[in-house]
Amino acid sequence: MKKIGFFLGCNIPFNRPDVEYSARYMLNELGVEVVELEGATCCPAYGTMPSLDIVGWAAASAWNLAIAEEKGVDTITGCGSCYGSINEAKYYMEKHPEIKQKVNEILGKVGKKYEGKATHWNFINYLHDEIGLDALKSKIKYPLNGLVVALQTGCHNLWPSRAFHHNEENVFFPKKLKEIVEAAGGSAPHYSTLTDCCGMGALRSNAPEKSLALFKKKLDVIKEELNPDVCVTGCSSCLLQFDAGQALLAEQKKINYTIPALHIVQLLAIAMGADVEKATAMASIPLNGVITKIKGGN
Amino acid sequence: MEEVTVNVIDLTQGDESFVKELKELGAEELKECIQCGKCASTCPMALSGLEFFIKRIIHAANLGLRDILLEDSSVWGCQSCNRCVEVCPMDVVPYEVIQAVRRAAMKVESCPANTYEGLRNLYRFGHAVFPKGFEERRKKAGLPEKPPTALSNEELLKKYREVLKQTVLEEIAPFPLD
Repeated sequence: MKKIGFFLGCNIPFNRPDVEYSARYMLNELGVEVVELEGATCCPAYGTMPSLDIVGWAAASAWNLAIAEEKGVDTITGCGSCYGSINEAKYYMEKHPEIKQKVNEILGKVGKKYEGKATHWNFINYLHDEIGLDALKSKIKYPLNGLVVALQTGCHNLWPSRAFHHNEENVFFPKKLKEIVEAAGGSAPHYSTLTDCCGMGALRSNAPEKSLALFKKKLDVIKEELNPDVCVTGCSSCLLQFDAGQALLAEQKKINYTIPALHIVQLLAIAMGADVEKATAMASIPLNGVITKIKGGN
Repeated sequence: MEEVTVNVIDLTQGDESFVKELKELGAEELKECIQCGKCASTCPMALSGLEFFIKRIIHAANLGLRDILLEDSSVWGCQSCNRCVEVCPMDVVPYEVIQAVRRAAMKVESCPANTYEGLRNLYRFGHAVFPKGFEERRKKAGLPEKPPTALSNEELLKKYREVLKQTVLEEIAPFPLD
């Protein structure tokens, strides 16, 4: 049986626990044992330790990886920042042995050690490359019935490619999320701003109006080119922008439409028969139409 | 974030020691920049209209314009998306320049207040993002009130704080580490 350490991060367990529920349900359906990483912390977020110092960044990331190494598992995350920050820290420690050495001096004082054995996955690469599309397809109870999906892979799931063990053939033309959605019976057409940033993150925290205006540009293109049933993200921060951020734009009368949004693990959990109430518990934009379509309506 | 108008760069304000400091803080390839603008063509900071975006930040960094860079808060709006790293033809690793400027700014406490909030949360709870009301949200999703992270394990949380105390946070944190 496959096992994986579930790296929760912050936004998923605290803001979007419905994504955590969905990921647990989906992994269980796929026959993957979820191993808890007791004592795990923030990745650390880019605006914290990475903005102070490289050794501090690497030490904070290595703390989390050391917990997984003790349990002999790889890790998986549904958050782009958690994927990027930890993999970049791993990259720096591999490229610069002196950083790794300093990190181990720090960790050694609390009885921990970082070796570099654990691979840190995101759901897109894990589902596509490790589980495989055929195995994924065989677990779908409610095929997506041609649901039209607008894809949002997420910046940190793609770049910087030098730090990532698995990635897309062309990192500016990602296809894996599309193939996952198609394997589940959905349709995911290309649109011209596919790889544009959603605006969530430091920009949203420090320049909220500019962040939402950037997001609106992308969303308008999605509406005009695809008019999709749902937007599906590979990153929990993108989900926050696509759902709560979009609801805010609607409330401010800056858009006159709304498109529901899900994280890929929510979409797949629902298609695998998860409790819809729990799997979408925190959604701001109602998903009724999406659920009806998946569960066999029109 | 306040709007900052960037006027003509004043070359007399250049300070070569600041260039050296940025290199030591991670911007090792800073001098390789040829100002081609490829990073800016793909940068969310530039596309969202922040006046002081990646190409211009590197320009100012290369000239050693310490005051302009440390007083302007644009670097804190960087998404860390790393598109610039991916496209840079000179391997400047532009994102590391942003991080170096942030690191220099932290040393002189020239950063937005929410940066301290994130660091404080990271130290106290093990989570930089720690929004109120999560227990209720977790219940709705059918999950235990607390996630099985350091938040649920005081002993490991203390060890994590010990790790952070041995980093540069010990010197920089504008709040007590105890």
